[in-house]
Amino acid sequence: MGTLLKRHRWIAPLALLAPGILWLLVFYVWPAFQMFIASFWSGSLETGFTFSLSNYTNYTEAIDQFSEQYLRSIVYAGTATVLTFLIAYPLAYTIAFKGGRYKNLLLFLVVAPFFTSFLLRTISWKIILGDGGPFLGLFKDLGVLPEDFRLLATPIAVISGITYNFLPFMTLPVYVALEKVDIRLVEAARDLYAGPWRPGGAIVGALLGGVLAGVLGVVFAWSWPLMAAAGALAGGLIGWLLVSESFVRVTFPLSLPGVFAGSLLTFIPAIGDYVNAEFLGNPETRMIGNVIQNKFLTQNDYPTASALSFTLMAGILVVVAIYARILGTEELSTGGRV
Amino acid sequence: MTARATSLETGRSRAPRTARVQRLADRYLLLVYTGLAVIYLLLPVAIMILFSFNDPAGKSNFVWQGFTLKYWLHPLAVNGLPEAVGLSLILAFLSTLAATALGTLIALALVRYEFRWRSATNSLIFLPMATPEIVLGASLLTMFVSIGAAPFFPLWFGTILIAHIMFNISFVVVTVRARLAGFPRHLEEAAMDLFANEWTTFWKVTFPLILPGIIAAGLLAFSLSIDDFVITNFTAGKTQTFPMFIYAKARIGIPVQVNVIGTIIFLVAVGAVALTTLAQRRSRST
Amino acid sequence: MSDKKKIPAGPVVSRRQVLLGGTMAGFAAFLAACGTGGTGATSEPSASEGGSVEPSATAAAGATPSAEVNWANWTYYMDVDPNDPTKFPTLEKFTDEFGTKVNYSEVIEGNDEFFGTIKPQLEAGQDTGWDIVTLTDWMAARLIRLGWVEQFNVDNMANFVANIKETYKGTDWDGEMQYHAPWQSGMTGLGYDVDTTGELTSLAAFFTPDPRWKGKTEYLTEMRDTIGLTMLSLGLDPAQPTIDACDKAVAKLEEAQAAGIVRDVKGNSYAEDLKSGDAVLAMAWSGDMVQALVDKPSLRFRIADEGGMLWTDNSLIPKGAAHKGTAEMLLDFFYIPENAAAVEAYVNYICPVDGAAEAMIAIDPEIAKNPLIFPPEDILARLHIFGGLSEADEAYFNEQFAKILGVG
Repeated sequence: MGTLLKRHRWIAPLALLAPGILWLLVFYVWPAFQMFIASFWSGSLETGFTFSLSNYTNYTEAIDQFSEQYLRSIVYAGTATVLTFLIAYPLAYTIAFKGGRYKNLLLFLVVAPFFTSFLLRTISWKIILGDGGPFLGLFKDLGVLPEDFRLLATPIAVISGITYNFLPFMTLPVYVALEKVDIRLVEAARDLYAGPWRPGGAIVGALLGGVLAGVLGVVFAWSWPLMAAAGALAGGLIGWLLVSESFVRVTFPLSLPGVFAGSLLTFIPAIGDYVNAEFLGNPETRMIGNVIQNKFLTQNDYPTASALSFTLMAGILVVVAIYARILGTEELSTGGRV
Repeated sequence: MTARATSLETGRSRAPRTARVQRLADRYLLLVYTGLAVIYLLLPVAIMILFSFNDPAGKSNFVWQGFTLKYWLHPLAVNGLPEAVGLSLILAFLSTLAATALGTLIALALVRYEFRWRSATNSLIFLPMATPEIVLGASLLTMFVSIGAAPFFPLWFGTILIAHIMFNISFVVVTVRARLAGFPRHLEEAAMDLFANEWTTFWKVTFPLILPGIIAAGLLAFSLSIDDFVITNFTAGKTQTFPMFIYAKARIGIPVQVNVIGTIIFLVAVGAVALTTLAQRRSRST
Repeated sequence: MSDKKKIPAGPVVSRRQVLLGGTMAGFAAFLAACGTGGTGATSEPSASEGGSVEPSATAAAGATPSAEVNWANWTYYMDVDPNDPTKFPTLEKFTDEFGTKVNYSEVIEGNDEFFGTIKPQLEAGQDTGWDIVTLTDWMAARLIRLGWVEQFNVDNMANFVANIKETYKGTDWDGEMQYHAPWQSGMTGLGYDVDTTGELTSLAAFFTPDPRWKGKTEYLTEMRDTIGLTMLSLGLDPAQPTIDACDKAVAKLEEAQAAGIVRDVKGNSYAEDLKSGDAVLAMAWSGDMVQALVDKPSLRFRIADEGGMLWTDNSLIPKGAAHKGTAEMLLDFFYIPENAAAVEAYVNYICPVDGAAEAMIAIDPEIAKNPLIFPPEDILARLHIFGGLSEADEAYFNEQFAKILGVG
């Protein structure tokens, strides 16, 4: 058998790949294709479905009718991705560069919430964020918040829930990328950019601070130009104090592949999330995932639901294709480490 | 390298006051932040565990009303709960076996060999991880419905199993591949030079070395399967897994026993990871 | 016909074993089920099990009950043993008397979702695996309209015939009570926290941005209840649900949402919010409120002056059920007043059985006096049942209502 393998070098990889890839082809690719077909159906579960190319109107109608939920999903997922990035990056950085003996323990702590039911975690957040709960109740008693303030059934709760659920998906790829960074490069940069002036940090901090504060201003209906200016100032100061030049110029750029991978693994699945919107939100925060779920499981409207689903699918394919073009496909199946 | 207690990236000289702030920040800020982040990560878990000791008067378990151990003594005493938990366990076990086997093979192929469809394979592995679960579930549902015949329709345990294996494969590949990356090929070559053909080399040299990676992948697949709700919801039909049970009960009131079971699953997973880490550490030190 | 003597092999048994399999036994059963080609729909139609499909041709009362019977129901709809929540005393009483094992599954969480799970088999003329399913009026009407329900053999159901309350007869979808046996009824009305909102008597409260309940009001995801109450507040009759009425009701609901009155639209979990204070006013169901009142004494339930909705969950025997005769006996068992009262003591919804109120006095006099469980005539007179909808109209109503749910 050894000579057989040597002579036909393609047999070994094929044999190894075949079962798994076949499974994915049959149960991922083919269903996606099937969904594409279903999006051209018309009819109902009671009367039966018929295929017709003229049913492309399923797409136009669906996108038209649900543009609000699509947009909202993109905004929520995008905000959640930015938030996960902001929370996860320093965490991953600490584990990678300051973790030492505790690296594995810390990584484990990051992943540990995964070992509990996702639904139970979301419901725990419902308890924590309740109007009179431990968190809000305290602030209301102190008089910091008005009595009728609530977090549940608002976009904030939904975005927070999504952020929390996808945190490991951002932390791990970023960590892997940071771990690969050659220490010697960093030290060289440190020597090169030594000095009290850290324009890099200041600029980045100002930008981030400004954008975040501006968004908060829009969400809470405070004056957003004022918020943005204040945020830029605060961010700039913090950035200047805390973020070193070598980080901005060397470490961060080197970690970008991990950041991209993490963003993809967060943003795209987050768009389709519906459990957070259902448990923590209200009808005004429903995302496209809720619509798809309702159409599939409650209204049994397979054609529209498939059209909506496939639109999401198409978006994913486009984004992944761009990513693959920029960074190559090797990164995709390695979690960042080649 | 001069010994320096602070981080790698401090500048060498600067104005004293800012320097002090920067140094303090370098030393402590990130650690404090990490502590806070860990608390944030574990807070819902703590709440879940806490409320497994709650003694609610009514059907719901949202307000703390009193401490009791009685739900720990009868964790399965809810109609439908043992069946749901059992089903989830069997599903997780079977899908982990299958996905780990299939995924490890793919990972081996990707690491060891050069072949033409490499890019396509990498993309195909990545896509299920990046696809929203609702799309994964919905597309499988559509396919099963349009086939309309056994064993794909009506939906049953088997269709859930198919779905779980499907989404687990990618995660297994990524995990195993990460471990295979630093793999000492020279050991294999030495073995083959010495006495072994490929088959023996694999089982006696390669496999034991990548076993930790496979176990890690298996653990990950197991947790993903036991916890999956969205995809399962679409492909389950009449059967009910543990997450589906929770979702159904969430409308009226989640029994405290659900928190108990959730805590048990969490502790078992933690224990499994701790065991494997200890085993690894011991084997490494020998 | 001796279908009741046989224990049907195939689908029913293998599926139950799969569901109960938390052990290797379950795993083995799963493997066995694999071999027989899956659950539910099998290759041999269940008619081969000895004519269980034929309607009233089955044996008269006194026929032998089968070894088991399968019932799908909603949660919290059967009395449980307070010391062991996995035991159902009245069901066990049935088992003691007739020897039949009752496989009682609380798997129904929504009419549409459940319908989706039984539709394939019913369409194909196969056994769904359920002998009794308990579904709300409109879904029961749909199943009967589609011809997917077995007709009762009333010779088997003496208690049902004798004790079903008159008010349930005469519906336009099964006036003769030949296909459905009401299980529980409920009222939909105002649920509120009197300490915050004061006494409320009008449905107008749901649409008024009063600061006491603005942003803390909740509507129901059940379309017929929410739109029904809205129609009543507009002076329209829910028994005549026209497209025009739908448009008016939806417009009013959207207006209320835009005005910030509504916190959320949910199912039973509104009771959570009322108890925790996250909400102070909700469209509420009487059964939930009975328990909520105990947990939080400042809560109230009231049928408004304009009226309220009455809905019923009904037990049906799906076509092709393997144990039709035994199912009839089981349904009839719950029309004996003592048994109905035993269930009512736990479930707290409205009992469709004549004589249950009297039987309840022996079990729990407090409950017998509770107007939410045994409502007086003047309240019943103010309740309305949502009219039947054609398939096209139903689709329209659902589509419009989806806007209120945020998914339309």
